[in-house]
Amino acid sequence: MIQITIDGIPCTCKKGEKLLAVARRNNIFIPTLCHHDGLPGMGSCRLCVVEVTESGRTKVVVSCLYPVRGEIEVVTNSERILAHRKMILALLRKRAPKSDVIAHMCEAFGAPDLPVASFDGGKCILCGLCVRACDLIGAGSVATRTLLKKLAGQGCAYPVAGAGVIAMVNRGTTKSVSTPYDEPSEICIGCGGCANVCPTGEITVTETDDGRTIWGKEFKFAFCKECGELLGTDKEVRYAAQRGGRDPDFLCPACRQKRSADAMADAFGRR
Amino acid sequence: MTRTILVCCGTGCRANGSMDVSLALTAAVAAAAADANVCCVTETGCSGLCELGPLVRIMPDDIMYYRVRPFDAHEIIQKTVLAGEPIERLLFKDSSGNHVLHQADNPFYGHQKKIALRNVGIIDSRSIDEYIAHGGYSALARALEMTSDEIIREVEESGIRGRGGAGFPTGRKWRSAAVLESSPKYVICNGDEGDPGAFMDGSIMDGDPHSVLEGMMIGALAIGAEEGFLYIRDEYIQAVKSMKKAIRAAEKRGLLGESILGTNRKLYFSVVRGGGAFVCGESTALMSSIEGNVGEPRAKYIHSVEKGLWGCPTVINNVETWTNIPFIINAGGKKFAEIGTEGSTGTKVFALVGKVKYTGLVEVPMGITLRKLIFEIGGGIPNNRKFKAVQTGGPSGGCIPASLLDIPVDFDTLKEYGTMMGSGGMIVMDDHSCMVEFARYYVNFLCGESCGKCTPCREGLRHMQSILTNICSGYGREGDIELLEMIGSTMIDCSLCALGSSAPNPVLTTIRYFRDEYEAHIREHRCPAGVCKALTAFSVNHATCKGCMACNAVCPTRAIVRLNGGFPIITKSCDGCGSCRDVCRFNAIEAVKGGRV
Ligand code: SF4
Ligand code: SF4
Ligand code: SF4
Ligand code: SF4
Ligand code: FES
Ligand code: FES
Repeated sequence: MIQITIDGIPCTCKKGEKLLAVARRNNIFIPTLCHHDGLPGMGSCRLCVVEVTESGRTKVVVSCLYPVRGEIEVVTNSERILAHRKMILALLRKRAPKSDVIAHMCEAFGAPDLPVASFDGGKCILCGLCVRACDLIGAGSVATRTLLKKLAGQGCAYPVAGAGVIAMVNRGTTKSVSTPYDEPSEICIGCGGCANVCPTGEITVTETDDGRTIWGKEFKFAFCKECGELLGTDKEVRYAAQRGGRDPDFLCPACRQKRSADAMADAFGRR
Repeated sequence: MTRTILVCCGTGCRANGSMDVSLALTAAVAAAAADANVCCVTETGCSGLCELGPLVRIMPDDIMYYRVRPFDAHEIIQKTVLAGEPIERLLFKDSSGNHVLHQADNPFYGHQKKIALRNVGIIDSRSIDEYIAHGGYSALARALEMTSDEIIREVEESGIRGRGGAGFPTGRKWRSAAVLESSPKYVICNGDEGDPGAFMDGSIMDGDPHSVLEGMMIGALAIGAEEGFLYIRDEYIQAVKSMKKAIRAAEKRGLLGESILGTNRKLYFSVVRGGGAFVCGESTALMSSIEGNVGEPRAKYIHSVEKGLWGCPTVINNVETWTNIPFIINAGGKKFAEIGTEGSTGTKVFALVGKVKYTGLVEVPMGITLRKLIFEIGGGIPNNRKFKAVQTGGPSGGCIPASLLDIPVDFDTLKEYGTMMGSGGMIVMDDHSCMVEFARYYVNFLCGESCGKCTPCREGLRHMQSILTNICSGYGREGDIELLEMIGSTMIDCSLCALGSSAPNPVLTTIRYFRDEYEAHIREHRCPAGVCKALTAFSVNHATCKGCMACNAVCPTRAIVRLNGGFPIITKSCDGCGSCRDVCRFNAIEAVKGGRV
């Protein structure tokens, strides 16, 4: 156990624990955009910066990734930090002029309005959460990794459009998130994982009674054969089954349990 | 006496036809062989003074010829090699017009001290035998008898700091990797030199590949690694070839492989070709690229020494750092520490380019002044123009103005003045350079090279680019300078990797030293240097013009005409390129406020 202070408040934490987690546990607020508890950190938005003083030396770190390894003093709201946060939000507002989330944050934090033309973009701030979500829970996981490995073997250091379901394409100031060649993806399963984690609502999902449209593609919903409950998109159900190495049974968990109970009963001849 | 003819076949000289010179000399030697106890022709790596190439040096007399053509070959053999007579027209002429016979008497070479480049330009880089004959691999043999602790102690004592950029103490890096229990461990050589205009690492890999390998082998012994990677920029075809060949030769000799020199130590090296991105020079991005992932930097809160390649302890040093190691082991760390300054020991290789008379590759003791480097070694500014600034440290380095020419070049001093050592690029600018345009140029470059992962770097650069472009085209606003400073400060503190945190350097240093130039652009719509086309017009000063019409010959738009046989005038079709001003020997063409705004 390590003792640290955050804004003067003494906090106890485990070695290696991320600073953001420690702060949250102690009800100390640090704003974030690209952090999600369930996904690996990437440290791309830089909004969660704080000042860390360790043996007399002060540096600025991102709290979502900084592992506590010794006794430190943390300040989350110094003038320097607040100025940086304002600037980061002000910069993001020009990247994502249509995002209300960013506009609200700008207002709340008092970010200046910079005299530079906005991107004609929408709401995306390039935080990369969607890509990570798809990699972890969506169809991106397998596809992305195999393809990137292959490309890297050919000497390519950058993901090319076509690498996965969605990917960060281009580099530098022209970076963007997109499906291969901006066309509806072949392998997307319409799970909506990416849209769920997006902090700005850039990824549009429209749903009707029998389907969902995401990334320009329509997906039919699948329903439980027995009780008719919504299971997700048809592709999603098939993908999950495939990953589990079985055939899709189109049953909701409750009905599946019931069915196996029935089967068991049959087998023991109690029917 | 047997004489050796060294023909420089580095990239610069090869472009000037040194391969043909080498062939012609070989033929001339063969033709003369009947009555000669001469002589072999050796193709070497870059000798440094590429500007005056192809270079030919005759040893052991140490006669150095410049700008040699194939048809000079016969005369060189007959006169110099056989009869010992120098050929005047091929010699270097110093500033007072005297011919200089020996390399060391040429001021370009005289002030240099070569450690990293000790063999470059002297040995045939393709031959492991020549390397061994020049003392190569003796440090490895010595290191095999030393304990890991003894090796690291020498390196610590030498005080050497990483030559690739940040200047982290190499010994300390090795020590923290050596104490870790876990295995495997790796050593990496960063040969991803991506700065435009920089070619020092390429020249070393090309001209003395075994010294890099030897350094890495010693490093591997010290930390207990059994595998090493050389990450080489894809454009360096020659360096890739040369390193691969060197690895094969070392394997054949039993210096690499199952058992190094008959001991039970194993070591394998391989070459990885870079992805061609500037950001891959950043160590975490580089490792990510070797692993086969996207070449993007990662947060560095756990040092790569602990968790580097594939999460294993990894020591990564750049080419120049590695080549210094054999010298340190052989001569002792103390000896190395005596060179240079207290905080920055040893020497540093620089690529001196831009508006300087002798561009090329130089190696000087740390702490040398910029003035000595630019005016004595580099021969000053061509065409007697005025020195304005020098940029150090590559595209994200800052610039130093004339008033600071006497500061010593070392890691800490450069940093104090807002720039950095970087990998050793040095671009000299004369008074025809606009510092706002200079900043805009590099920000533009970095906009394309940033990986785009984090907000401050990606968005900050885009904003800076837009603001600077506005200023250069006459749409600058009050407050722009302060805004640039604010964005810069957020980029320095909050960027994820060193690319982003150093990217504002060109902007912040030009504001620091040339603020008046920014203000002239913004407030008076005037470009004092006469570079920004939208703010500049050119006119002929008839008092100094001699009517030679040299300007007319270079004007791409034919805008310079002579009316009624009088002096030239510049018409409306002028495009503002400034070529006429550069070419006029009488300084009769002046940049004035004007242009399109
Ligand atoms: S909806 Fe498609 S793109 Fe989004 S996470 Fe699921 S599979 Fe990936
Ligand atoms: S679409 Fe949303 S989640 Fe994806 S990078 Fe943009 S802002 Fe982040
Ligand atoms: S080059 Fe100079 S001196 Fe010659 S004509 Fe042009 S302006 Fe006059
Ligand atoms: S500035 Fe360029 S275009 Fe204009 S007159 Fe001179 S050479 Fe011609
Ligand atoms: S939340 Fe920490 S960098 Fe985005
Ligand atoms: S290549 Fe010959 S001096 Fe540089």
